[in-house]
Amino acid sequence: MIETGQTLLALGRTALSWSERMRRFPWSLIVLLSVTSMVGFVILFSAVGGRENMWLFWRQVAQFIFGMGILGTVALVADEKFYRRFAYLFYIFSLLLLIATMIMGSVGMGARRWLEMGFLRLQTSELMKVALILALARYFHDRSVGHVLTWRDFLLPFVMTLTPMGLIVKQPDLGTAVLIGGVGISMIVVAGLSWRILFVLMGMVGASLPVIWNSMHGYQKKRIITLFAPDQDPLGAGYHIIQSKIAVGSGGWTGKGFMAGSQSQLNFLPERHTDFIFSVLAEEWGFIGGVTLLTLYALIMVRAMMITEMANDRFGLLIVVGVTMLFSIQVLVNIGMVVGLLPVVGIPLPLISYGGSSMVTVMIAMGLLAHVNIYSRQHGRSV
Amino acid sequence: MLDDDREQFRGDARRRILLVGGFLGAAMATLGGRLFHLQVLRGGEYRTLAEDNRISLKPMAAPRGRIFDRDRRILVENNPDFEMVVIPELAGGTLRFLLRRLRRFIEFSDEEVKFILQQARRQRSFLPLRLKSHLTWEEVSNISVRIHEFPGVDLQNQSIRYYPLNSLACHILGYLGEPSDRDRQRFASVTFRPGDLVGKSGVEQHFEEQLRGREGVVEMEVNAVGRHVRELHRTSPQQGADLHLSLDVDLQLEAQAALGNAAGSVVALDPNNGEVLAMVSYPVYDPNQFIRGFNHAQWRSLINDPSRPMINKAIQGQYPPGSTFKIVVALAGLSMGKIDPREHVFCGGVLVKEEQKFYCWRRGGHGSVGLMQAITQSCDVYFYKLAERLGVDAIERQAHKMGLGDLTRVELDGERAGLIPSRTWKRKRFKAAWYPGETLITGIGQGYVLTTPLQLANMVASVANGGVVYRPSLLRLHPGQQPEILSRLAVSSSHMEILRQSLEAVVHDRTGTGAKARPEGGIHAAGKTGTSQVVKHKREKSGQLIKQTGEKLQDHALFVCYAPADRPKIAMAVIVEHGGHGGSAAAPVAKRVLDRYFAKYGVPE
Repeated sequence: MIETGQTLLALGRTALSWSERMRRFPWSLIVLLSVTSMVGFVILFSAVGGRENMWLFWRQVAQFIFGMGILGTVALVADEKFYRRFAYLFYIFSLLLLIATMIMGSVGMGARRWLEMGFLRLQTSELMKVALILALARYFHDRSVGHVLTWRDFLLPFVMTLTPMGLIVKQPDLGTAVLIGGVGISMIVVAGLSWRILFVLMGMVGASLPVIWNSMHGYQKKRIITLFAPDQDPLGAGYHIIQSKIAVGSGGWTGKGFMAGSQSQLNFLPERHTDFIFSVLAEEWGFIGGVTLLTLYALIMVRAMMITEMANDRFGLLIVVGVTMLFSIQVLVNIGMVVGLLPVVGIPLPLISYGGSSMVTVMIAMGLLAHVNIYSRQHGRSV
Repeated sequence: MLDDDREQFRGDARRRILLVGGFLGAAMATLGGRLFHLQVLRGGEYRTLAEDNRISLKPMAAPRGRIFDRDRRILVENNPDFEMVVIPELAGGTLRFLLRRLRRFIEFSDEEVKFILQQARRQRSFLPLRLKSHLTWEEVSNISVRIHEFPGVDLQNQSIRYYPLNSLACHILGYLGEPSDRDRQRFASVTFRPGDLVGKSGVEQHFEEQLRGREGVVEMEVNAVGRHVRELHRTSPQQGADLHLSLDVDLQLEAQAALGNAAGSVVALDPNNGEVLAMVSYPVYDPNQFIRGFNHAQWRSLINDPSRPMINKAIQGQYPPGSTFKIVVALAGLSMGKIDPREHVFCGGVLVKEEQKFYCWRRGGHGSVGLMQAITQSCDVYFYKLAERLGVDAIERQAHKMGLGDLTRVELDGERAGLIPSRTWKRKRFKAAWYPGETLITGIGQGYVLTTPLQLANMVASVANGGVVYRPSLLRLHPGQQPEILSRLAVSSSHMEILRQSLEAVVHDRTGTGAKARPEGGIHAAGKTGTSQVVKHKREKSGQLIKQTGEKLQDHALFVCYAPADRPKIAMAVIVEHGGHGGSAAAPVAKRVLDRYFAKYGVPE
């Protein structure tokens, strides 16, 4: 506790000057994030139907500005060791909140995902995304010096990943659970899990698929069946996929034009301003628009991964991997779902989908990347 | 932290990061490929699907054409009809509560309320729900002043077929009904909508294509749940063409009134072009009732009525023409040179032929009669002998020439042809030889002979105009339009003149049988009475006259005529079912119509 207190006092009193921190700030990443978000505003404007629901649009703009503020705060204010010190604490705190949500969370859309905290409605699984990245990075960082990782060293990281995953699956929120699992596994792999163990694990997962299938909720099974045969129930379970594919496909090369997508504008598309917003883009801006956004996302991914080269230590490196994967998996799963390659799971499209929680989480994660970049010792060399 | 340790990790991590990056790159490429597949390769397919999703076509019914009489008086029109609908989600409260409030101004039976609530549960709450159709004017005004008190409630104006003269000329105008399978086959190009009506009889049926018009369509953009978003395009409906009938409402009214409560038919034609001036069939029905709907009892009584109100007797009633047929036989004799008008025949009241007795209607006989007296007094024996001389086939030819036994092709469906017998016909029909006695019976329009009132009117019209058989037409001829001619009679004008004088004598001679048709104001008419036997077969079988107790055993009374006798403007056939004698029952009907005609149009110079 004493250590914690000292660190809190140390906030803002770091070795680097404010101007140096600003200089080391990864501005190109910020530009990419901002451009992508601008694209998001244009699509959202159309998705919410122009003037009628303009408050949604302005709220998203406000959330973006708020998110950028958080990104800056996360990146600039804390000193070099701040996140490493608080990683476990934050993880345990997040885990407790998840359990609390499990017990006394409020139910929305048939799932228990939110925790009412006075004025705040907290989606606790969002916290866990960041907490897991920090905790796993801390874990492998602590074992990075003079130590060869054996299979025993990977037991705890798996537990750390699977515990929140299990809690989130129970909510039920399959999408976020898969996302957290993906982030955890990719960090573990980069941390040095031997390929042999990885293949054995994959084999075990494959073998346990029937068990997983049987433990799934009816709606979850339905979504997977629907993915492969959406025409079986076109007005029920297959509706989302069919309508979304029609929207995307009917966009053609150049799309139907801004605000001119009949699928999007006429309410054929469900959740078109949140999870299915990519189909609005694809319908109204066509293949050109879709590929443009994919390119923007790819640039963000590449730019983010480049920061691994800047990382001073395993903590920094693994944070960059975790954050990049968190961002990338969301992009891949969301678009994969919209174009009918993956089952319908509730994962928003980062920076584009309407929603405060998702925006804030992405910005916190990106703030961590910027933090790693700022405290990179390689800046000295380049000067 | 050891540098080499860190560098070793960094090297390993770099490889692993490249691997993860490769995975991400492959995944992104897959997404791009999928977009290409969906948008570029299969874009057209999905574009079609999106169009289907987006546009809903709402048909707009075209108003039917109106129908006028020859003086442009309206016979059939389209009236506004109001129905009340509600969009439940806008009603602001439960439907039950709304109905309770509406009940203060509009009557709803408990069954109606139950039905409405049942319907409401079946459909989406933003779609209009019909509460009541055919609102009265009082209900419309009561609701429309309070419409703001009932949010979501709307009065919808539609057009409904209306026959302002009710049952008058109902058989000519016809009525509307649900399209049958046959209607659907006949109008294969028409898409019938639920609630669509088509003409089921009369000109409503015959001119269905013209009256129908072309339906319009509103292309509506709809969203996924079918709610209308906006109108994209509208093709206005085209009202059907108006019909201008040759009917004269005044004559039609007079003719119907003259029939009184007797079942029968009156057909009046313009002998100079075949235009139908009046066509009455009695009893009648009200075509408006088919729009309003029948209850079970009303419908039963309409279709089970023994006097058959649904039948247009003018074209579907087939009656033995009786003595009116003597006009045909006389013309056949004259044109074939089988009789000399001056030749006299003795009528002793009966003619014996092959041990069978053929009576004249006057038991005492007419004595010695020439053609003129034979027609004037309707001597049967004269015509027995004439028929014998002519043979049935000659009579048959003449009858067909005058349009009897054939469809007149008037613009009405369901016309019956009647029947003119011949040797060939009998062989085919009964596989039996023709008896000479049957020729005699045929000569006075009895036996197998059947004609419709319209055929009889057209037959007498051809005498009136000097020998032209026109196709009767319910449509008014355009100025300059030539009437269609069915045939021309090969009769010399002198022979025709003899016949015409005889027919005039029927009405105006002291001994004539048709004196009761004599018009007012010194106008001369020409005509022929007829009586067609209803109980002929029974009488023949028992060999004696059955005591006529019931009205249904009475003979049908017939009268055909034209006027003025010298320059005819109107030709007419009247039949009064079970009326008894033509001269006493049918001729007075003709007189009333003739009087009405000349009162209206004046006497030609």
